[in-house]
Parts: sequence; structure tokens; C-alpha cells
Amino acid sequence: MGELRVLFEHRDVPGIERMDVYESVGGYQGLARAVTMSRADVIGEVKTSGLRGRGGAGFPTWIKWSGIPADQPTERYVVCNADEGEPGTFKDRELMLRLPHMVVEGLAIAGYATNSSTGYIYIRGEFLESARAVRRAIDEAYARGYLGESVCGSGHRFDLHVHMGAGSYECGEETALMSSLMGERGQPRAKPPHAPLPVISGLWQRPTLINNVETYATVPHILARGGAWYASMGTERSKGTKLFSVSGHVAKPGNYEIELGTPLEELIALAGGVVGGDLKAVIPGGSSVPILTAEQCRGVKLDYESCMAAGTMLGSGGFMAFNDRTDIVKLMHVTARFYAHESCGKCTPCREGTRWMYRIFQRITAGQGRPEDVDLLLSICNNIDGRSYCPLGDAASWPIRASIQRFREEYDYWIEHGRSPVGDDSVPGIG
Amino acid sequence: MAANGHSGGGDRPMDTVSGRFSPEAVAELEEIVSHYPDRRGAMLPALWIAQREYGGSLPAEAIKEVAERLGCPPVEVEGVASFYTMYNLGRRGRRHLEVCTCLTCAVLGAADTLRALEEKLGIKVGQTTPDGEFSLAEVECLNWCEAGTVVQVGGRYFGNVTPDKVDALVEQIRQIQDTEAVTQADQIVKVQLARRHDGTADG
Ligand SMILES: Cc1cc2nc3c(=O)[nH]c(=O)nc-3n(C[C@H](O)[C@H](O)[C@H](O)COP(=O)(O)O)c2cc1C
Ligand code: SF4
Ligand code: FES
Repeated sequence: MGELRVLFEHRDVPGIERMDVYESVGGYQGLARAVTMSRADVIGEVKTSGLRGRGGAGFPTWIKWSGIPADQPTERYVVCNADEGEPGTFKDRELMLRLPHMVVEGLAIAGYATNSSTGYIYIRGEFLESARAVRRAIDEAYARGYLGESVCGSGHRFDLHVHMGAGSYECGEETALMSSLMGERGQPRAKPPHAPLPVISGLWQRPTLINNVETYATVPHILARGGAWYASMGTERSKGTKLFSVSGHVAKPGNYEIELGTPLEELIALAGGVVGGDLKAVIPGGSSVPILTAEQCRGVKLDYESCMAAGTMLGSGGFMAFNDRTDIVKLMHVTARFYAHESCGKCTPCREGTRWMYRIFQRITAGQGRPEDVDLLLSICNNIDGRSYCPLGDAASWPIRASIQRFREEYDYWIEHGRSPVGDDSVPGIG
Repeated sequence: MAANGHSGGGDRPMDTVSGRFSPEAVAELEEIVSHYPDRRGAMLPALWIAQREYGGSLPAEAIKEVAERLGCPPVEVEGVASFYTMYNLGRRGRRHLEVCTCLTCAVLGAADTLRALEEKLGIKVGQTTPDGEFSLAEVECLNWCEAGTVVQVGGRYFGNVTPDKVDALVEQIRQIQDTEAVTQADQIVKVQLARRHDGTADG
């Protein structure tokens, strides 16, 4: 199957980040077509496409869009989640850097479809280079009338602002992101059944649409070429293409766009194959998803349903491959440190549980593991999973639990011998 | 406008708030405030402006000034600022080196890079060189894993930093203004400001 480039079709065209070049390859045609259609028809096109959110959860995009009460006399907001922080993921960074106009175009279409006149793109503070490209694209789009008072002469107003983050993984969670955008600590807010969804009451208690960078960047293609065309790619329930950020022990790490449903092994081949040894494990969708053994990877297809059936998730598309010199316990030590560090502290199971797990990993990889530690880790996972206020807690427990279920012998070896089963000291156990 | 060349002197802003925001900074803040339905919305950008105006960090006076300008209690501003890792409430160097030791970088040898940097700079993680030029920290995924090991210095990312490249890297960092914390804050402010009449100018 190989690569199938829709978003990346013109990624390597010199100057594609600039307006004139982007327009010369068909840029802003999707927006131009959208504004000639009714709002309902624009959303209908997105529905036909089968597009699902690319930020991690895979939620059908059109359902969110149609949930915005577009006719009520209130302000509405469109937000782009560009806080990319899931370890292993770097697709949004490149999309904004190389194809900023595609993101701006998608946001302008969303503004029109939901009858919103204000948009924010929340970019993580570290991504200055990407933010500069987005800034320039926005300025160019205003100059050309794609943003501002009358988008493409439609009479619909849409202003787009850049909002820079300041360092916090939790701000990628949509309600925490909204807290942060409103000038607060990046902690999540109540969701159903305790509070209405953001599409009803989000930013400043007004209807708010929030999608990922890649989700918005896909929309112009759907409007320009039709939802049915988009839906002709992919599988029954996972339509279209997806960007995967491939890193780890591969010869050619980078972002690859493939049709959903492409075999996992093919993505590894695209990235030049495994280096430094044989394949030992894969984390296919960012640090929050369960790790697969090389054995489990065989025959797995990269779409939402197949990944689920294989005991993992597609997530954000942060695909990490590890060779057989990798110490899984140390890898999970780093994972546990990440979540302990990033837990926002709002709820007890996650705040305490992530720190406790991290301390146990420190002790195991210092050669001081106790026989009961593995069961203790499992029981902490069970106490966090499903009991935390937001999905970060769940995400902290899944990879650890899966690693114990799938690489138990490595934990036992560490605890019995006080040293690494692979004799590898390249993964740090930094405290 | 220079990054921080306008913070001292007798050039007081034209309003009643006392502090170090220059008139340009006040104008920038007001433009950004107009992006939100209330002044509080401009909290993060205001803290970035303050971090620039106060030379790369946020001392108590900076927190107080932001609080006054946004009309909210200083404890709340402090609470927000302390939540985010990029605001400098402590004492970092003029150039703050952040080495990613998260998953991919870890398996690609980030620990060795970190050790080499400690040796080259003569400091440990968490410390600042005696001249205040460099500080060193370990951070989680910088989301450019394809180029692991990744090191961030101010507004710049450096990729594929292996221990043998550390000497050259530190020399290079000294030459680049973008690596200064104060320049980074300035650029983060600038990307949040529209330049509608000059859509082609480089940032
Ligand atoms: C801890 C945490 C971090 C997240 N980080 C991101 C992120 O960096 N980018 C993103 O788009 N979604 C992130 N999400 C998912 C968002 O909450 C949300 O589902 C997404 O932005 C919706 O957009 P989509 O439907 O287009 O995928 C995160 C979720 C959690 C729980
Ligand atoms: S699960 Fe973790 S990140 Fe989410 S609210 Fe609780 S403490 Fe915060
Ligand atoms: S793990 Fe270092 S940049 Fe992602």
C-alpha cells in the first residue's frame, strides 16, 4: 500500500507554507466551496467523509460540529488544539510548520459551519517555529480575505487568534485547555453527567468546538473533493488517511501519511525498518496506549478497530518502535515519570497513584525491587483507572498494566537479580 | 523593538499602574486583551510579556504588575504562573538548556547527552553556571522525537544531539540570540500579535 498522501501531497513543494504557493496547488478551494453551501450541507459533507478526530480519541467530527447550536443569539468559539504533547507524536508540529494554511483554511471552514466568529489556535509554548509559520499564514489569510470581516466575500465574519501555551501536557486535554485559554491553571473542568459538553458550554460558558490540528487540516480536502471521495479511503469504520509520527529504533524516523487499515509492519518498512536489532515492542499511538510485543504486532492493521482488537489503541499516531536491546522496565520507568510529572494534581487517585508508581519504578531499576512490587503496581493501576477526574489518569495506568501483562518476565528478572535482563544501560533511570 | 532594552529609565507608561512595562508593552497587552471577552483571558500572554519586560524571569513585582494590569488578585496570578513550566519563577540562566529524556530520546541515548552537557558546562541538572549564562534541565517529550535526542534552548530546538556534538552545540548556542530566555518570551508575545498590513514580514 505504501504512503497515501492527502494532507502531505504537497508537503515537499518549496514555499508551500506561503499563500501564493498554497493557492497555486488548490489551496483555499475547500473554503471557497464551503461558503457557497449551507452550513448544514458543509457539516453533511464532513459526515459523509466519516472523519474522526485525530487528537487521540477518534470521535466522529461531524457529531461535534452539528452539536453546536448555530442559530442561538450568542457568541460561539472554534478552538484548535495545537498543544501536541503526547510523547512520541510530532505530526501537528510539522503540519503547522510546513502547511499552516491548511490548518487556517480548516478553521475558517469550521467557523463558517458552526456560525462562529472567533477562533483560537492554542499552540504549545515550545513550538515557536511552528507558531511563527501559523502567524504568518494568518496574516496572509487576512490580507486575502480568507479571514476577517467577510470570509471569501460570504458576509460571515471570522477572526483567528494565536494563543501560546506555557508548558503543561495536561493542557492538551480539551477542558483543561479551555481553562488555560481563559487564563487559569490548566486543570480540567466537569463534563457530563455533571456539566454540559463544551459544544453547549465551553469557553466563557458559550458553545465551543474543539478539534485537533490534523482534524482541521483534513477538512479543506473533504470540502474541495467531497466527503464521498474521502470515505473511499480507509476501512469500513476508519475512513481516510492518518499521519503517523514514527520514531525510536527505525532507520528513517519521521511523519508518514498512510491509508487507515495499512498493516503495521508496512509502516515500519516505510520508516526504513528496525535498526540495532530485531523488533521487540511497539507503542503505536503515543505513550498513553498499551505496548505491543513483536509477536502481537504481526498482522495488525492500523485503524481504530484493529488496534483495539489487538489490545492497544491508535491514539494520536505517535508510533514508537523498539529493538531487542530495549529494557521494557526502564521504558516504563520513563513513562511513569512522565505521568507523575504531568499529573495536574486535581484528583487524588491520579496525583498520588502516579507518584507512587514512579517511586516503585525508581526502586526496581535501582536494583531494590521487592517481590510484591509488581502486584502493587497492578493494584495502583486498578485504583487510578476509571477513578480519576480526567483521562490522564487512565492513560497513566494502561501502558504500565499492559507492560506487566506482556513483559512480566522482565519485571521478575529485575526484581530477582537487581539488574537489567538485556544488560542495556542506554535507557536512563533519571530521578 | 529590542527584547528588553526599554524596561528601565524614566519612561513610565501613560497609565497609573506602577511597574516595568514599557509603553510598547502596554500597547501590546491591550491589543492581546482585545482578543478575549475579558481581561483575565490575557493572563498567559500577559505573563509572557512580563517575563520579557523583567529580563527573563517573573519576580514578585512582575506578578504584582500583571495582577494590576488585568485586575485580579496577585495570588491568583502567582497560582497560574506556578502551574506552567515555562514561566521562570526561580533563577534560570540567560540561556536555559532543556534536554528531553522522554521515551524516544531515552532509548536513543539522552542520558549520555545530558552527562556530556553537565561536563561541558560544569554544572549538574537543576543548576546555573556561576556567570548566570547557562542553566540545565531535564524535560519531558518536546515532540520532535524524530530528531532525538532533542535539546531546547529558548526558542530554538536542536536535534540529533549526541555527546560528541555537545562542544560545538554550546558554542553555537552562544552565537544565537534566539536561545536567550528573554528573546524567547519576546517572540512568544510577537506571534500573538497580528501584522495585518504586512502579511509577508518575517517573524
Ligand atoms: C492528558 C490529555 C492530553 C491530550 N493532549 C492532546 C493534544 O496535545 N492534542 C490534541 O489534539 N488532543 C489532545 N487530547 C485530546 C483532547 O482532549 C480532545 O479529545 C481533542 O483535542 C479533540 O479533538 P479531535 O476530536 O479532533 O481529536 C488530550 C487528552 C488528554 C486526556
Ligand atoms: S486525572 Fe490527573 S491530570 Fe486528570 S484531573 Fe486528575 S490529577 Fe489532574
Ligand atoms: S521523546 Fe524526546 S522529543 Fe519526544
